[in-house]
Amino acid sequence: MKKDYLLSLIKLSLEDFKRNKVRTFLTSLGILIGVFAVVILIALGLGLKNYISGQFESLGTNILIVFPGKLLDSSGGFSSSGSFGGILFDERDVAALDKLTLAEYVVPIFEKAVTVESQTASESTTIYATTQDIFAIRNYETSDGVFFTKQDAQKGAKKAVLGPKIADKLFPSTAYSVGKTIRIENQSYTVVGVLKSKGGGFGGPDFDSFIYIPYKSAISMDPNKDFLAIYIKAANSTDISPLKTQITKALEKRYKPDDFSVIEQTEILNAVNQIFSVINTVLVAIGSISLLVGGIGIMNIMYASVTERTKEIGIRRAIGATKQDIMIQFMAESVILSVFGGTLGLVLSGLVVAAVHSFFPASLNLFSVVVAVGISSLIGIFFGVFPARKASNLSPIDAIRYE
Amino acid sequence: MIQLINVTKRYELGGEIVNALDDVSLTIKDKEFVGILGTSGSGKSTLMHMLGLLDTPTNGKLIIAKKDVAKLDDDAISDLRNRYIGFVFQQFNLVNELNVLENVMLPTLYSKISLNFDPQQKALDILKKFKMYDRRFFFPNKISGGQQQRVAIARALIMDPEIVLADEPTGNLDSKTGEEILKLLSDLNKDFGVTVIVVTHDRQVAKKTRRQIFIKDGRIVKKYI
Repeated sequence: MKKDYLLSLIKLSLEDFKRNKVRTFLTSLGILIGVFAVVILIALGLGLKNYISGQFESLGTNILIVFPGKLLDSSGGFSSSGSFGGILFDERDVAALDKLTLAEYVVPIFEKAVTVESQTASESTTIYATTQDIFAIRNYETSDGVFFTKQDAQKGAKKAVLGPKIADKLFPSTAYSVGKTIRIENQSYTVVGVLKSKGGGFGGPDFDSFIYIPYKSAISMDPNKDFLAIYIKAANSTDISPLKTQITKALEKRYKPDDFSVIEQTEILNAVNQIFSVINTVLVAIGSISLLVGGIGIMNIMYASVTERTKEIGIRRAIGATKQDIMIQFMAESVILSVFGGTLGLVLSGLVVAAVHSFFPASLNLFSVVVAVGISSLIGIFFGVFPARKASNLSPIDAIRYE
Repeated sequence: MIQLINVTKRYELGGEIVNALDDVSLTIKDKEFVGILGTSGSGKSTLMHMLGLLDTPTNGKLIIAKKDVAKLDDDAISDLRNRYIGFVFQQFNLVNELNVLENVMLPTLYSKISLNFDPQQKALDILKKFKMYDRRFFFPNKISGGQQQRVAIARALIMDPEIVLADEPTGNLDSKTGEEILKLLSDLNKDFGVTVIVVTHDRQVAKKTRRQIFIKDGRIVKKYI
């Protein structure tokens, strides 16, 4: 196709749009809204997914989690028939797992929702009654003070390490919290450290609000020294799979296979991602409805344009335009109209993503751009083809006589 | 050369069959200047559409540029219209969205063969000859009827057609401007050897041509009544 030919088609479309500014804008608006909806939903979905993956990674790598009950089904999704709970683990299980050759750390966790009091405040939060190794496997650092030590854990010292958020709530200045006393379920604990922030809280557990104490100090809360979960870290990622087998074997000496689950973090991540994909697909499908409506708007206007320009079509046919030439002219117009709307929609979603970026992890990527431009071109082609075919099939004499 | 051999064009109008052209045979040789004269409803418009390849016969043969039109597909017919025939209409039929220069260049856009001339240069040359050069960037609704018709003739000429078909070219013009346009068409025939066919109901217009063909009730007749 000749360059002049295309240029002239584009120029003609632009002239036409200039004459019908309001009409052009309103027609493009349909596509603008549709593309905006789709792109922004993809951006939000993608941002959320990245955020959650990031959160999981920040909680440490090469970690296996042992839960009571069957948490995941065989396909990797959250099990519908299975349940969480049933049994509880105890120190015997921890000791058994500690003997496994591939286990670098074995960290039992008892988790409980409690009320915590300082001299000035009273807050609801979650405690993790555990060992000092929790800090190692989760790559925690303190912003102030220190972790409780192995000795503290073994002795059951009444020492607590606070997440930064709960520290902020309990004490006017976190810097002054170290050395202070807090009361958890009427037991006095000395704050020895405050953790650096890791974020979290978007639907998942807000680890920054947790309080970590030695499990042996929590007899009143956990008299049987039962654990809700045991975290086990492998030294290398290649050890994960054999370690999982070792764990399963060790626990099956005491429990039935269905009584517990050994899960990799990535498995949970996959299950969460599965849910997000479904939600995102549904949202994008809803957004696509507005694209469809926008496309119908374009088709409507193109039909009007064909009728309006019947005489022009006749003239062009008389001086030698083929059916295909007429077809291309009208297709070009609808594609330009649609891509114009799509581009505006993309720019608008870019602005919105930039605006919310500071507090919501939305992200625009090449995929969104391709989707926006691709979808709007396709809509232009699809909804332009019927009016364009009508135009090209007009009989030259009837068209040229049209007034 | 254009040849119509026993051409019939039949329409159905309100359940009634109308023979717009009835067994017409006609030959127009190269470089002729012909007037086709007939009243409204005589079939002269149908004949004009037939000659301009805007319509096809129901029966009979139409031969243009040694080609039997019945055997050509739509693309080939469009190509013939583009390169072989130039149209001049009563309503001028310029594209209002394009300026004078773009209107004149328009047929070159649809050429399916590569051109041996620069479209813009040639358009400007023709506009100069027609004294329309200084109006080249005007839009059709900003120039007079006579000027529009000259632009239309310039457009009809840009592809170097062998035939220029003019349908009531003076119908929307005052008599003085009409004279000028007819002079222009006559010059085309004389100076450039283009076959010019003028379709009209106006005996005075037809008189300017060198051969007149009379049409009545879809048939060619000896005398115009």
